[in-house]
Amino acid sequence: MNRLYDMEPRVMDDEMLKLAVGQQGPQEEAGQLAKQEGIPFKDVLSLQLDFQNILRIDNLWQFESLRKLQLDNNIIEKIEGLENLTHLVWLDLSFNNIEAIEGLDTLVNLEDLSLFNNRISKIDSLDALVKLQVLSLGNNHIGNMMNIIYLRRFKALRTLSLSGNPVAENEDYKMFICAYLPDLVYLDFRRLDDHMKELAEMKHQYSIDELKHRENLMQAQLEDEQARREELEEHKAAFVEQLNGTFLFDSMYAEDMEGSKLSNLPGVGELLETYPSGQPTPQAVHPPRQLQPSLTASFTYKDKFVIICLNIFEYGLKQQEKRKAELETFMECVQEAIQENQEQGKLKIAKFEEKHLLSLNAIREESELSNIETKIVEHSEDITALLNVLMTLEMQLVEQLEETINMFERNIIDLVGLFVENVQSLYPFLEDPLGRHSCLARPWLNSGCTMAQCRDLENHHHEKLLEIAINILEKMVKGEMDEDLPDDLRSLFIDKDTIVNAVGASHDIHLLKIDNREDELVTRVNSWCTHLLDKIHKDEIMRNRKRVKEINQYIDHVQSELDSLEYGDLLD
Amino acid sequence: MEVLKEKVEEEEAAEREEAAERAERGEKTKKPTEVRREETTLTQEMLRDLERKLSEIEVSVPEKLLTFTKDTIDTSKLPLSYQSNTLKEEHLLQVADNFSCQYSHLCPDRVPLFLHPLNECEVPKFVSTTIRPTLMPYPELYNWDTCAQFVSDFLSMVPLPDPLKPPLYLYSSTTVLKYQKGNCFDFSTLLCSMLIGAGYDAYCVNGYGSQDLCLMDLTREVCPLTLKPKETVKEEEKAPPKKYAIKPPRDLTSRFEQQQEVKRQEAIKAEEENRRKQEEARLLEQENAKTDPLHGLRVHSWVLVLSGKREVPESFFIDPFTAHSYSTQDDHFLGIESLWNHKNYWVNMQDCWNCCKELVFDLGDPVRWEYLLLGTDKPFLSLTEEEDEGMNDDDDVEKLGKEDEDKSFDMPPSWVEQIEISPEAFETRCPNGKKVIQYKRAKLEKWAPYLNNNGLVCRLTTYEDLECTKTLEVKEWYQNREDMLELKHINKITGLNVDYFKPGHPQALRMHSYKSMQPEMDRVMEFYETARVDGLIKREETPKTMTEYYQGRPDFLSYRHVNFGPRMKKLALNSAESNPRPMVKITERFFRNPAKPADEDVAERVFLIAEERIQLRYHCRSDHITANKREFLRRMEVDSKGNKIIMTSDMCISFEVEPMEHTKKLLYQYEAMMKLKNEEKLSRHQAWESELEVLEILKLREEEEEAHTLTISIYDTKRNEKSKEYREAMERVLHEEHLRQVEAQLDYLAPFLAQLPPGEKLTRWQAVRLKDECLNDFKQRLIDKANLIQARFEKETQELQKKQQWYQENQVTLTPEDEDLYLSYCSQAMFRIRILEQRLSRHKELAPLKYLALEEKLYKDPRLVELLKVFV
Repeated sequence: MNRLYDMEPRVMDDEMLKLAVGQQGPQEEAGQLAKQEGIPFKDVLSLQLDFQNILRIDNLWQFESLRKLQLDNNIIEKIEGLENLTHLVWLDLSFNNIEAIEGLDTLVNLEDLSLFNNRISKIDSLDALVKLQVLSLGNNHIGNMMNIIYLRRFKALRTLSLSGNPVAENEDYKMFICAYLPDLVYLDFRRLDDHMKELAEMKHQYSIDELKHRENLMQAQLEDEQARREELEEHKAAFVEQLNGTFLFDSMYAEDMEGSKLSNLPGVGELLETYPSGQPTPQAVHPPRQLQPSLTASFTYKDKFVIICLNIFEYGLKQQEKRKAELETFMECVQEAIQENQEQGKLKIAKFEEKHLLSLNAIREESELSNIETKIVEHSEDITALLNVLMTLEMQLVEQLEETINMFERNIIDLVGLFVENVQSLYPFLEDPLGRHSCLARPWLNSGCTMAQCRDLENHHHEKLLEIAINILEKMVKGEMDEDLPDDLRSLFIDKDTIVNAVGASHDIHLLKIDNREDELVTRVNSWCTHLLDKIHKDEIMRNRKRVKEINQYIDHVQSELDSLEYGDLLD
Repeated sequence: MEVLKEKVEEEEAAEREEAAERAERGEKTKKPTEVRREETTLTQEMLRDLERKLSEIEVSVPEKLLTFTKDTIDTSKLPLSYQSNTLKEEHLLQVADNFSCQYSHLCPDRVPLFLHPLNECEVPKFVSTTIRPTLMPYPELYNWDTCAQFVSDFLSMVPLPDPLKPPLYLYSSTTVLKYQKGNCFDFSTLLCSMLIGAGYDAYCVNGYGSQDLCLMDLTREVCPLTLKPKETVKEEEKAPPKKYAIKPPRDLTSRFEQQQEVKRQEAIKAEEENRRKQEEARLLEQENAKTDPLHGLRVHSWVLVLSGKREVPESFFIDPFTAHSYSTQDDHFLGIESLWNHKNYWVNMQDCWNCCKELVFDLGDPVRWEYLLLGTDKPFLSLTEEEDEGMNDDDDVEKLGKEDEDKSFDMPPSWVEQIEISPEAFETRCPNGKKVIQYKRAKLEKWAPYLNNNGLVCRLTTYEDLECTKTLEVKEWYQNREDMLELKHINKITGLNVDYFKPGHPQALRMHSYKSMQPEMDRVMEFYETARVDGLIKREETPKTMTEYYQGRPDFLSYRHVNFGPRMKKLALNSAESNPRPMVKITERFFRNPAKPADEDVAERVFLIAEERIQLRYHCRSDHITANKREFLRRMEVDSKGNKIIMTSDMCISFEVEPMEHTKKLLYQYEAMMKLKNEEKLSRHQAWESELEVLEILKLREEEEEAHTLTISIYDTKRNEKSKEYREAMERVLHEEHLRQVEAQLDYLAPFLAQLPPGEKLTRWQAVRLKDECLNDFKQRLIDKANLIQARFEKETQELQKKQQWYQENQVTLTPEDEDLYLSYCSQAMFRIRILEQRLSRHKELAPLKYLALEEKLYKDPRLVELLKVFV
């Protein structure tokens, strides 16, 4: 603050950093080595840059693994350039000219932050620092008590210093902090005693209770949201999201102007059930069990439609379970096979290693040149043999896995195919054991469980609607219409073509919606399948390559050991 | 009774005619009331006869075993029930005689029944009444196996006087316990009493046993302690192959060849098996060469335990001599005459042609088992209707049991006194606390705990040959050792000693196997690793190496192997210090540390100290088959300019499965090497400490062996001297307390009352005077006491002053000793004065209170209270 500007501000350039790193790096013998080799910035763990008259933080992007950074006693005005230092645990920016807290959003590992003696007036932008334990904000310009409430979100915060701020002059300062930050242990370098905490809690009990209540509500809301999102994710994984309610039905009518108009016709309302035109109702989940079987006859169009959707939904979830189980078994088996193969490989290598050491020693101790040569030849034969053995093992595993993967591929494609077919109802549902089960268990439902049945239902509804419309038109023509129709509806009943077109348009929109949903389901399930299989194949190839590389590397190493011995002997 | 007797007489008269050779016996049963006497004479006759026979056979039985005869028993102190029979018992004897005579009539070719032998007082007693069911107050005796073991240990065996006949005498269990000797009948009676007391359905059996059984000859038995427990091989259940399990690689070997190979192997195996069997058969024959001429005739008594009670699943026999249990089909048991418990007596009516193998122990079946008394419970009446009816027609047998008078008659209570075993006797177990059993190729010796002062309780010596001359190995079991030694196993052939310890040894030793106690020899020590800070499980030593196994260490060390080189020539100067052998190589292995990635976690490191090399092998990553390796050469070199080379790239040879950037750096390698250097030092130090520890343990072991102190439980009131002293002290304190209490109740009015004329009632005047006198007296005493203390105080002060004066006068001439003396006197005197002062002030404080207390007591004294009431 009252810094003397007698020295010129310095720039954080490479030279400065190198110097600092060199000075703070290893010493003595290790230091000589370090000097010889140079220390890469990305390996440096701690860096001290105090009293350097730095104005701007810069050039720090290379220090990726830095844990501790000291930039105190400079003339820094803005926190910047620290985005790459994600491993930072300790950051000291005290005695600078910082005015606002910013640029710390990526430092999620930060535990100790010191901003002592700056010009900060507001505590914020610290949300990312979830591990924060020590926060030093003394000698700043913080004036509002409410800043302290912001600190409630840091569950790990134990030490706080705020002395030298305008807030600290408030006579209630200590009590307030004690009350609002009950987990705090040290305030302004002093331990808070329990008695004090109790007093503070009593004093501020009401406001804190209120605050807690609000926080709890928020928390609950967040959790709800989370749970809902997770559920939706799960449904999406089963490709039947939003089929467990009226969503599809509602969306059918959402863009259908004519339909909503027509629903006001006498008779159509009953057909649709009391259906609020145009406005999608909030998703209501009707488990089909709530509906009485005896009511089947009186089911309206909407009810029937929703039941079909629910059936598809349940079926989808079941199929998803099945696919998951299949995948798990497959993965387990593959893992086991690989494990077993690796064990064999390890055993072979261990055996070889013993022999290897012995023969290397033998060669070393052998004095006769001809013997050495024969031994070397023998040993290199051994190495080749090992290579062959390991490669055979690997090839064997590859073959075995290929077979297994192919089997899995067939099965999973079958499963997906069955699912799609059943949803599209290309085959009668009864062929699927699961489907049969559900149909047998609820015979009142076997009227429909597939998209095709949705369409049938829609067609049926369309016919009925058309009938009603034509009836009304006839009535109107005959002048027998005793009810008043809204104007926009009446405008449709000008002639037969118009009304038929309107009803047809509505029908087309509905069918389109159903088709779209079906297409979406089918494409997604198919792409999931392809992706999965691709990944499995790719993983297997990667594994194979890695293993082959590993084996070659090892053989090379062993061979080179032998070779170096040869040269050594030749030199001797 | 009369009617029946007549009936029997008639019958017998009829039979006499047709069976001439049986006439003699018929006569004897003519007058059943006299039968008893006659029968005894008969048995004596037979005895004589037998004696003659016996003199021909004469089994060589040690003389001293025969000393347990009537003469040695002091019968004078035995209770009345031993010396005479009650009316009921007399009646029972009559019934038994009747039964016996009918039995001998019906089964003339069978041996007479063992019904009422004489007891130690020459009084005939029925066998069932000799059984005295008793539940012993020792938890060990609650189960049949420990109970039988106790009986077999506690009594020493005396062979039957005549091995072919039941004994004439059957002593009470109390007498048997007192003298700790008995024949098989005594053994089984005692065991049966205890088992019935413990709730078992047990019976004494009179029957025939093999020679080994009767003479308690175990030399043909394999010692149960030498048998190795059979390892139960657990078949691991194979999980059903999963859906996507990989197929095994194709087997390209020839099936036919495999089959041929298997056939060949089998043939060889069969041949071997055959040879082995033949060998075994030959051996067995050799062993069993001596056959017994009296096979099947030797009388023996044992215990039968029937299933049903105490969750016994199957009936079995217990041989009371050896405490072994046998199945009822065992070859050793050759036949059963009769059996009895405390309630009834059954005669076996089944044929014993095939030993006891086909006997059915359904005592409720009167065809198979003829009972003596009706009306007692029949434990196993499991007959079908048909059989029952069929039996009712069988009048021959029926007559024996169905005597109407006897229906309500039940067994009189036992004449034997309560069986008691004192805790001392129970602990000492064997007579004189020692017992030796000879088994086939083995000898077992047992001692009572604390009998041997080194804690030895059991020794099993195994021999190579049947004659027991060449010792194979010796096993010694110990108890109550302070060093927790449990078992010492000495192999005489290899010279290997193995000591086993219970938890609690000061060095947490579990097992110690060695050939000699000299250090740096072959030895293995196992430890209770949870009791050790360093988690050491096992340490193996050979003259050149030392291997240690660890478990559960924070640094994950699991194994350390040290190779030692030859010891350097010692310098004469520092001969007092230890001269450790130089270490050539240290190999350490580590468990996987889950906190580190596998390719940075060292699995094995080898310090080649002589070559100045360090080899590292890392753990293998889960998806790899090779592991990182690194080798450091520690040689310090100097370059051409004479500068020290700190680190060069050829000082570290490494193989990395996945080459990493930073490990190539010299700095990294240098730091790693420095760290390893330190760790090498540490490892060497630890190895050195281990060596020291071995020496320490060996020393400790030697000391322990020398001292072989025994621990004594604090609950063992007899042996634990300390607790005994403590208890005695407590008792003394209690006694003193009691005395003091008696003193406290002294009558303070007694001396004053004595002055008054006796026998007269106190007047009030007298009472008041009495009270006043008493109080005055007490006051005087208090004053006297105060004066006394005061006088002493003054005397002490004066003396001190004098002494001080003397000191000041002679201060210059005093020797230091005198001065010391004076000073110590001063401090003591000061102490005394201070104490006197305190006592005085205390007395002053308490005296008025004491006076008031006495006054109040006097007012309340029952003798004065009436008279003094007015003044209150």
